[in-house]
Amino acid sequence: MTIQLLPLNDLAERHHGLTPALAESYLEAARVCLDWHHEPPQEFMLKNRASEQQVLVEWEPPDELCRGAWANKDDATRDGAYACALAATELSLGLLAVRRAETLTGADYYVAPIDRQTGDLENCLRLEVSGTSLDTYEVHRRLRTKVRQAKEGKSNLPALAIVVGFQVKLISIQSVEGTS
Amino acid sequence: MSWTIHHSKSEEYASQAEAALKQGNAERAAKLYQSAAKEEETALTKLDTSKVRTLGITTVSAASLWFKAHNLRQAEHVAFQWLATDFLPDFAVDQLQTILQSIWNEKIYQQAGIEFMKGEVLVSVGGGEVVPGGAPLHLILRKVDEVRNFFYRTIEMLLNLPFRKHGSPSSEIQEQFRPWLLQAPFGSYQFAVRVQKPTQMSLFPEDTPEVEEVTRKFLKIVEDAAKENHEDLKSTVPSPEYRETFLKLSRNLAPTGKSFNRLEIKSATDMEARPIVFSPTSRQTINKTLREIKRPPEEKMQLEEEQVRGVLRALHLDQDWLEISFPGTDRENIRIYQTGDVIDDLVGPMVNHRVIVDVGLRPDGKRLFRDIQSEE
Repeated sequence: MTIQLLPLNDLAERHHGLTPALAESYLEAARVCLDWHHEPPQEFMLKNRASEQQVLVEWEPPDELCRGAWANKDDATRDGAYACALAATELSLGLLAVRRAETLTGADYYVAPIDRQTGDLENCLRLEVSGTSLDTYEVHRRLRTKVRQAKEGKSNLPALAIVVGFQVKLISIQSVEGTS
Repeated sequence: MSWTIHHSKSEEYASQAEAALKQGNAERAAKLYQSAAKEEETALTKLDTSKVRTLGITTVSAASLWFKAHNLRQAEHVAFQWLATDFLPDFAVDQLQTILQSIWNEKIYQQAGIEFMKGEVLVSVGGGEVVPGGAPLHLILRKVDEVRNFFYRTIEMLLNLPFRKHGSPSSEIQEQFRPWLLQAPFGSYQFAVRVQKPTQMSLFPEDTPEVEEVTRKFLKIVEDAAKENHEDLKSTVPSPEYRETFLKLSRNLAPTGKSFNRLEIKSATDMEARPIVFSPTSRQTINKTLREIKRPPEEKMQLEEEQVRGVLRALHLDQDWLEISFPGTDRENIRIYQTGDVIDDLVGPMVNHRVIVDVGLRPDGKRLFRDIQSEE
């Protein structure tokens, strides 16, 4: 059986919520994060409630300049996780980032099925992304935290929580239904 | 033009603003956020109010963008304008209220001429005598003092200053990097700490990027100090003197289990960050690390080891001794000598509090200092 490739490249061509510059920046961050722990290519486990699949992750190792530009580990992890998360939702669930909306501390991305993209956000899902270089326990802990936060908040926005474990080669996805 | 067109323009400007911020161009980022906010506000006017979810998301987005553009007045205006309607869904009302709280905090700081460094640390204590929302004053005062000392040490290390063995941080450091105690959300008992941005950052031109990360570094040091394996701490704090001091400062933070039995430190701004938890066993872990990194002096082998438990009554580091009293007993005060390695900001908060002092007992009865830790 052929392992599918995680579509990290040219995200902006398919995910219209990303500009080409931002997609390139996220990809750079992902290359740096992956390079901290592995050499390309690597197989990652992509898990959601319904299924598990191995996916192939290929990337171009970053040069010194790129590594230097992403010396801030937290920023690299956050942005690298965006690239992997968007590629994973595309591959696993057929969802693409259609919109971006600002929050006080960053931005939310909204995803929708490829064939159901409308001119508003009424049918979109909010994407809640987190990345970590820690162990599997931390990936699961963050996923639980994301899901709990989404449930505890007064959110009536259906969301997808996704955590990227760069070191443990695990991408875990869980859907969070709206509360009203 | 439709909501879609204006929102798309807003997204484009906001993405460019984010890129400008990453390049360190805050001024350009603010201008781009302003353009993004204007487009988002225009997009709002094009929306059919029956599209509740889109309306909620766009309103929050517009208020956030004005906030990021540092236009607090306009951010407040958008929030109030839409909160006054019945159109918004619950999640948007909730988020706009949070934005308003941030706007008001920011306004107060601006009016007072205060600017903070990145990040905020949340410290919470629990168990023992601590009740939800309340704790013995002396305990909290000490923890606040210890956290402040930890911050000063972190700043000195980031500024590559020579290791300070005695006295307080220089007046320049104390004036330029003022830690603030902020109100924290209701919890077991919590307080938040932020460091004020130096009014004269130009005094530290070469160290500006590093020192701006003081809160992040503080959290990393605390996290590494709490670990059983101290390899990570070695890379976070390469200087052995600083490393040992940070370990001892961390040990002071950890509970003994008497007046409280849990202390948590975490980032208040990164809600996903794992809290660093200190329990009574953390002391044993840190003590083990301290024993591993510190080779005993040669004469120690010939001395009988003793542990003295009492109240640190007096401290005379210039004359090289400290004094322990034993309230409630007939035992006379004792002096412990050769305190040369004692660091002021480590022992300062312990004065008049119960301590455990490791000493070497000479055959003539003279006690020589080895180590000291809080017993509370």
